[in-house]
Amino acid sequence: MKPLLKLFCVFSVVLLMAACGNSKAKEADSPNKGEKTVIEYWHVNAETQGGKAVEELVEEFNKQSETTEVVAKYNPDMYKGLMQNLQAEAAAGKSPAVVQVGWAFLDYFSNNFQYIAPQEVIDAHFPEDKTFLKDYFLPNIMDLAKNSEGKQVGIPYSLSNPVLYINKNLLKEAGLDENGPKTWGEVKEFSKTIKEKTGKFGFYLQEPADNWATQALLESNGAKMITDGKATFASKEGIEAYQLWRDMILEDKSAVHLPWDQGVQSFIDGNVAMAYTTIAQRSNIQDNAEFDVAAIKSPSWGGKEVRLPAGGAMLAITAQDEAQQKAAWEFMKYLYSVESMAKWTEGTGYVPPRKDVAEAENGLKTYLEENEMMKAAIEQMDVIVPWTSFPGDAGLQAEQLLLDVRDQILGGNVSVKEGLEKTEKEINKLLK
Amino acid sequence: MEAIQTFAKPKIIKDHWKAYLLLIPSLVTFVLFMFWPFLYTVYLSFFDWNMVSPTKEFVGLQNYIDVLKDPITYKIFCNTLIYMALLLIINCAVPYVLAFVIDLVLSRFKNFYKGAIFLPSVISLVVGSILFTWLLNPVSGPAAIILGWFGIEMPVWSKLDGWVITVLSLITSWKIFGYNFIILFASINGISREVIEAARLDDIPLWRIFFKIVLPMSSSTGIYVFIITIAQGLQYVFTPIKVITQGGPNYSSANTIYHAYHEAFVLYRTGHSAALSILTMAIFLLLLILEFKFVERGIHYEN
Amino acid sequence: MKTNPLIGLSWHLVFIVLIFILLFPIIFAVGTSFRPLEDAYNNVLQFIPLHPTFENYEAFFTSLDVARIMMNTFFIAAGITIFKVVTSFLAAYAFVYLDFKGKNLLYFLFISTMFIPFAVTMIPNYLVLSDIGLTDSVWGVMLPQFADAVGIFLIRQSMKTIPPSLIEVAKVDSIGHWLIMKDIVLPLVKPAVTSTGIWFFILAWNEYVWPVLILKNVENFTLPLALQMYISSEGGTNFTVAMAVSVITMIIPLTLYLFFQRYIIGTFTSSGIK
Repeated sequence: MKPLLKLFCVFSVVLLMAACGNSKAKEADSPNKGEKTVIEYWHVNAETQGGKAVEELVEEFNKQSETTEVVAKYNPDMYKGLMQNLQAEAAAGKSPAVVQVGWAFLDYFSNNFQYIAPQEVIDAHFPEDKTFLKDYFLPNIMDLAKNSEGKQVGIPYSLSNPVLYINKNLLKEAGLDENGPKTWGEVKEFSKTIKEKTGKFGFYLQEPADNWATQALLESNGAKMITDGKATFASKEGIEAYQLWRDMILEDKSAVHLPWDQGVQSFIDGNVAMAYTTIAQRSNIQDNAEFDVAAIKSPSWGGKEVRLPAGGAMLAITAQDEAQQKAAWEFMKYLYSVESMAKWTEGTGYVPPRKDVAEAENGLKTYLEENEMMKAAIEQMDVIVPWTSFPGDAGLQAEQLLLDVRDQILGGNVSVKEGLEKTEKEINKLLK
Repeated sequence: MEAIQTFAKPKIIKDHWKAYLLLIPSLVTFVLFMFWPFLYTVYLSFFDWNMVSPTKEFVGLQNYIDVLKDPITYKIFCNTLIYMALLLIINCAVPYVLAFVIDLVLSRFKNFYKGAIFLPSVISLVVGSILFTWLLNPVSGPAAIILGWFGIEMPVWSKLDGWVITVLSLITSWKIFGYNFIILFASINGISREVIEAARLDDIPLWRIFFKIVLPMSSSTGIYVFIITIAQGLQYVFTPIKVITQGGPNYSSANTIYHAYHEAFVLYRTGHSAALSILTMAIFLLLLILEFKFVERGIHYEN
Repeated sequence: MKTNPLIGLSWHLVFIVLIFILLFPIIFAVGTSFRPLEDAYNNVLQFIPLHPTFENYEAFFTSLDVARIMMNTFFIAAGITIFKVVTSFLAAYAFVYLDFKGKNLLYFLFISTMFIPFAVTMIPNYLVLSDIGLTDSVWGVMLPQFADAVGIFLIRQSMKTIPPSLIEVAKVDSIGHWLIMKDIVLPLVKPAVTSTGIWFFILAWNEYVWPVLILKNVENFTLPLALQMYISSEGGTNFTVAMAVSVITMIIPLTLYLFFQRYIIGTFTSSGIK
């Protein structure tokens, strides 16, 4: 057995060296392939969520560019995973050229990583694009990519907002208006009726590892997550809003308290009548639900102004040298063309950040006519606000505290008032 | 003591370089990729760092103090103990008994059982976690539907204290049960048949045979299974925790391994995470020392 | 041998239930991989598909270079296994049959590596590998995994059950350690070595946390990384395709196990004295 083992060893070592040699040669960090500048584009889009669109866009860009070649890298585990990989790269002294930065990481990113604001690159090398950003993007959208010091870190790219998906069949069965509830009060009533009349759960509000939907719920009632750098969500309005959700789960027992994928799964297979989650889930829901499903606008609180945090990410330029930075903008400009934006929306369900895409003929006009479900999300664009990221180094810890109290409240371990007030105090201590 | 006593002194000097030669490959790997990072982590535990910024702020023992003062730390240590207990029962005690039963009590279908039991071990826990999230969906999953037929409503296990640790332990056990079982079976199978037969002829009840004969004679493997279930079990549970609950609800499912990861890679509190890791390791090393001192003696090695 | 047949029967029942619990998820996974996603959502219990389809496998094979990914995974798993088994065997032998200064301390240190949480080793190891320029390569994945205390532990335990009398005979005849290792000890610990090898292979094959940090280009991915591409919390996991990928991932380790089963459950001669 031993001589065989030795032979195996030698053989494998040889094979492995060959394989290693192969991949090393490819990895040889030459930023110039022939004449073209090669840049890395880091994204989080899995096959099920835009991965194909990324491939197509990158391929088409590479075909038409004479100066730049883009290599796309997929980062598992969404924006958090991308951040982890970015850290490892930075620790090793390297960085890609263009990255998608999730909103939750806006401040952490701008405080700790080397980046260059897109306008700077434009001003230095692309005078013809000087007013590109001003012309094509609404101010409230561009503001999304400004950090807590007001600096324009990047450009919004993937944009989502929360919508209410409804199971029209279940609503009809319960004798309710099949156009769905318009206010949060109606959501509670509808939910209760559905549970009584059909036995199925009435409502689910998404519970990922972030506070996005919670922010929509609270801020639409007039509460503010942060005011002047301090946490202020435990106001009367905030408590009232949270109370409604809690009561639906614990008192009416009409809403369900589940992790995100299980909650969405239960909506799709018809066990929950309404689901409040991101428009990015549209194709997953639309393709697999066997009932009459619609997506309607986020409910409001009486007459108050709805405020919805933007989901998704922005594109930032992390390239260090000039040639890479120029190539980065060339690629980004391509991604922001009307056709590319349309393709992106069609492939992901994200809403285009650029203002003229929705109505353009070569944009989304026909697509929207056929796809009713996107309408609500696009119509809500004017009430989009930045997704709150707590400032400073303790920002992510603050987010975690909110997640912890969510489980405590919805699990019935603490009252809404006590939970929110305690957490608000703790967070403000952290933010110093 | 395995030192071969029949040899004269000169041989021992010769042994030295041979021994080190044999140990060098493992040693180098461990030094570079285990001990060096460990020392680096000790170093990091005295700083406040967020993983990326070029400056680290020296804070002395503050991280350790924070960890020891934090009530969450104790909840997590408690969870870790519960995980260990559950994992040991399911993956050490139970396979021991079952391996014994298959070897000495049953006479048919043995190979089928063995093969089938090992099967889940080849599957990754990532796949397992995704699979069980689907299967155990309390509202729409197959398990919930079947329980529904009996009028039982499935508890939302991923949001309930106690339930969550139990289910995550079961999911992890699904994978590691098979390997432990096979190892223990091989060991029990290797016990001389004559001794067992003699005991049987003497009408000694099976449970006595298990405790007085089988257990001691397979103890070298038994202690191995015991230790790796603790060490690896805790590391394996990490995957379902990460995929399904991320330590929630409110840290009810986090153990020290997961929490150290969470602190470092989700909250970017590197120093804090390092302190937690060092404290955890200190405790495990203590347990390991105890094992070396007391248990190794009691283990049966041939003659 | 007077075994009460009722006892035998109840034990059989225990095993049947156990096996059902262990195997049902796998059968479910395989069945689901042949169903369209919409079907999986809406006919939850129907895990044996009435109208099986290959669309999930097609989706997988058309979107990625699966052959290349499988090769990557195989190289890495095989490489790690060979290195770990060899280094473990050598080290275990040294700990059992040789006497040297600091033996117990060194053994203790080796075993303690099993308790080092990988959150501790992730970033420093990445930095080291990046300095040597081995990121995004199979070597980068394998290098930190050339040795494993678990293997040393098991093989040592197995070696210790060999009666020292066997070795004494060889030593009296002045046969060198090399030959003792090769001709006497190795054959006797074959089951331990083989089961360790299989376990290492399976672990390396399914490994995720370390490769995801090191490997960058999709063409260098391993199967577990490829699986991640079908999982997205934001857009919803494509469960059926994920199951198809999982089934493909399962096949090789499974085949290996079935093939090597005999070695693991190998029969010992009662005392090993030949």
